[in-house]
Amino acid sequence: MINLRTSVSAFTLVATAALGVAATGLPAAANDKLVELSKSEANWPMTGKNYSANNYSTAKQINVDNVKTLRPAWAFSTGVLHGHEGTPLVIGDKMFVHTPFPNITFALDLNEPGKIDWMHKPKQSPTARAVACCDVVNRGLAYWPGDGKTPSLILKTQLDGHIVAVNAETGEEFWKMENSDIKVGSTLTIAPYVIKDSVLVGSSGAELGVRGYVTAYDVKTGAQKWRAYATGPDEEVKLAKDFNSKNPHYGQFGLGTNKTWEGDAWKIGGGTNWGWYAYDPDTNLFYYGSGNPAPWNETMRPGDNKWTMTIFGRDIDTGEAKFGYQKTPHDEWDYAGVNVMMLSEQKDKTGKLRKLLTHPDRNGIVYTLDREDGTLISADKLDDTVNWVKQVDLKTGIPVRDPEFATRMDHKATEICPSAMGYHNQGHDSYDPEKQLFYMGINHICMDWEPFMLPYRAGQFFVGATLWMYPGPKGDRQGYEGLGQIKAYNAITGKYAWEKMERFAVWGGTLATAGDLVFYGTLDGFIKARNSKTGDLLWKYRLPSGVIGHPMTYTHDGNQYVAIYYGVGGWAGVGLVFDLTDPTAGLGAVGAFKNLQHYTQMGGGVQVFSLNGKNPYDDVNVGEWTGPKAN
Amino acid sequence: MAFRSNGRARAALLGGAVLAAAPFAAALPTAAAEPLRICASSVEAPYSEAKAKGFENKIAEIIAKAAGREAEFVWSDKPAIYLVRDYLDKKACDVVFGVDADDERVLATKPYFRTGYAFVTPADVQIGSDWKDAGRDEFRNFAVRFSTPAELILKAAGKYENNLSYNLSLVNFEDKRNKYTQVPADKLVNEVVNGDADMAIAFASDVARYVKNASKPLKLTLIKDDFERSDGMKIPLHFDQAIGVRKDDAELRKELDAAIDKAKPEIDAAIAEEGIPTLQPNG
Repeated sequence: MINLRTSVSAFTLVATAALGVAATGLPAAANDKLVELSKSEANWPMTGKNYSANNYSTAKQINVDNVKTLRPAWAFSTGVLHGHEGTPLVIGDKMFVHTPFPNITFALDLNEPGKIDWMHKPKQSPTARAVACCDVVNRGLAYWPGDGKTPSLILKTQLDGHIVAVNAETGEEFWKMENSDIKVGSTLTIAPYVIKDSVLVGSSGAELGVRGYVTAYDVKTGAQKWRAYATGPDEEVKLAKDFNSKNPHYGQFGLGTNKTWEGDAWKIGGGTNWGWYAYDPDTNLFYYGSGNPAPWNETMRPGDNKWTMTIFGRDIDTGEAKFGYQKTPHDEWDYAGVNVMMLSEQKDKTGKLRKLLTHPDRNGIVYTLDREDGTLISADKLDDTVNWVKQVDLKTGIPVRDPEFATRMDHKATEICPSAMGYHNQGHDSYDPEKQLFYMGINHICMDWEPFMLPYRAGQFFVGATLWMYPGPKGDRQGYEGLGQIKAYNAITGKYAWEKMERFAVWGGTLATAGDLVFYGTLDGFIKARNSKTGDLLWKYRLPSGVIGHPMTYTHDGNQYVAIYYGVGGWAGVGLVFDLTDPTAGLGAVGAFKNLQHYTQMGGGVQVFSLNGKNPYDDVNVGEWTGPKAN
Repeated sequence: MAFRSNGRARAALLGGAVLAAAPFAAALPTAAAEPLRICASSVEAPYSEAKAKGFENKIAEIIAKAAGREAEFVWSDKPAIYLVRDYLDKKACDVVFGVDADDERVLATKPYFRTGYAFVTPADVQIGSDWKDAGRDEFRNFAVRFSTPAELILKAAGKYENNLSYNLSLVNFEDKRNKYTQVPADKLVNEVVNGDADMAIAFASDVARYVKNASKPLKLTLIKDDFERSDGMKIPLHFDQAIGVRKDDAELRKELDAAIDKAKPEIDAAIAEEGIPTLQPNG
């Protein structure tokens, strides 16, 4: 809720009052230290900076006028290659850094930057590596501030399916629970998410017969509080009594089993969630998206496949869903709906102030919902080249499909936009509440989908599809460049304030600041800053490796810093990481990014910037060895 | 057609035929005959494997000899599922062994044997020959190959969903999107031997050799050919196996048909040696 202080709307003023004095009977927010921590420019206590997940900082020491003097302040190598998604956390004097598998966590001392206070390196079954579909990434950490009895904790996930609480002061393991069973193909790549005294964790591995779920654990003990599935009977999907009562046309009860699935197919129906969460202390709901249905071959699962591909608003205390809006019924393209949810308070077209949730989906549509009841307010194309859908009918919520771009078995479809990677993937974007603009990193990639069936003997057949991915219509199809975009979007008008092309995808997301800046990293290894009003490119820096995480900022000892992970990989970088050359490998990603190797190679670390590179070591005595410590 | 369970008896009878067939060995290829170019995968055991040790490699050698030709294997290191598209159609070779007799991609010869899907269980398990027998409560884990009628039997018997994780573990949960991933045939049998699977359901010739050589007594029970999907579509469980040639290669088919007739005793002996329970060919 960092934006409360800076927002000028009457609505937020009321909300601020509620935070202070609990005048409206909402003590939950007042109790939550994380809300207070996230307001400070010194901290970045959760993946999206605050519960609104807007990646927005009020800090403006670094601004449009001086950003060109931004220089490296210090750097830290994690010693791990492979894709580094997410962003570090900063709380007070410590920065917490995470890595992809083997999922090491470092606590760094910001007074002597790069000095390791502690390191947590779990032992994991190597099986985990084989099971993970798309590189061995991890999206980050969560922080719980402690309550005097239980110490402050860092929460982390391991690829082998465990969630671990680590003492934030010492790095010692505090508790560890198995959330996903690697033996049945379920892995964890998601960043855990702390809300009040609960920690949320999702699941991965949809294609391997995993039935997706989100689980809340007691942050102090690891005891499971509740678990809600994406498919199955209503009591297991945890639908509230008034589920979708404001929007009954979304569907209400009894739809998670054989009404939208054939037979028992829901039991292996996917709908995992491995993206991001957001939370509103006023509604007491948290928001996230469930992923694609399984199996991938859509002919095996006739029906709408509820509640996969759904934006959920669930009560954090009970897990019950108040609303669920399915964006892509019966997905045919692998448009997993797990992307970031950003919360804002804005006036709608009629001038009514509303609590909003904005979600750029993999399917190429950016959705804005009323987050109190799930009502769909707008659904705009992320780019005018999106073609699988003509439009989303705002009254029914149903996408109007163009059958030419369907992926049926008897149909070869060319130039489907977006590709299976989506026009937006796991990147964590930002929202500037003053400008009322969302800054979105976009993939500009389309695909050909060629089904084939190869009979073997004795009635055996293999149904498959060859995916070819290549730049969208605005890119260079000969040179395989022009694979990304960066855009500023107004969710009320549906207009883009500005948009720019990029050579490769902006995979990791964006950071917005009150300095009128938007920062982001590119797959080919740049961090860039643009004027957030105009989109003008103001500054960039060449990193050791490509970026798939999102930048963050913090202020320490009076200096504002910007930090970002480098380390190319993830689905986009899978060709580089595993040295694949068949263009259809990595579900087509290898072909799309075949020229990436000419721009970057693997790496892994954090790079921190400040104006003129100012940092604690400017005082050369800092960190010097001054002889044995006196006893 | 009527189900015949006398495979073992037939195999026993055919054992003597090998001797009778011996004179064929003396038939020398004519100097003018070109080698028979056989499309073959090196990774398709038990049918086809490097050094021509596979069951179908042996059949191919028998047929080539009967046709008075030299067997020339054109090897692919990809699974046999790609042979027609990537080799036969591109004229890299001229024959593919072990196609279904009604395979529309090719011109098929007359069948050289017929067999069906079978239950593979420990020898002491009592089981009938109806597909529904797979649905018994005590059977929990099934080893089957993906995209086969065996998978459809599990689905119809209400066993598929609960078995999926186990079956995927047989390929280490390797991603099946965009690539051909299949359970190795010997693994199907080993899972039954080591007790991880209560049974395997497989095409008999997929597993016959491993059942025969298993370290613990197993049995193959052919399943009756009366399986329908819930929507009424008949799913055949018995199949004629033939040799495929390109559709415009009628002359080669004719030559191979003659060779099949000529070499029948030797073919039957090889099938018996492999341990495959056979059925009467469909015409």
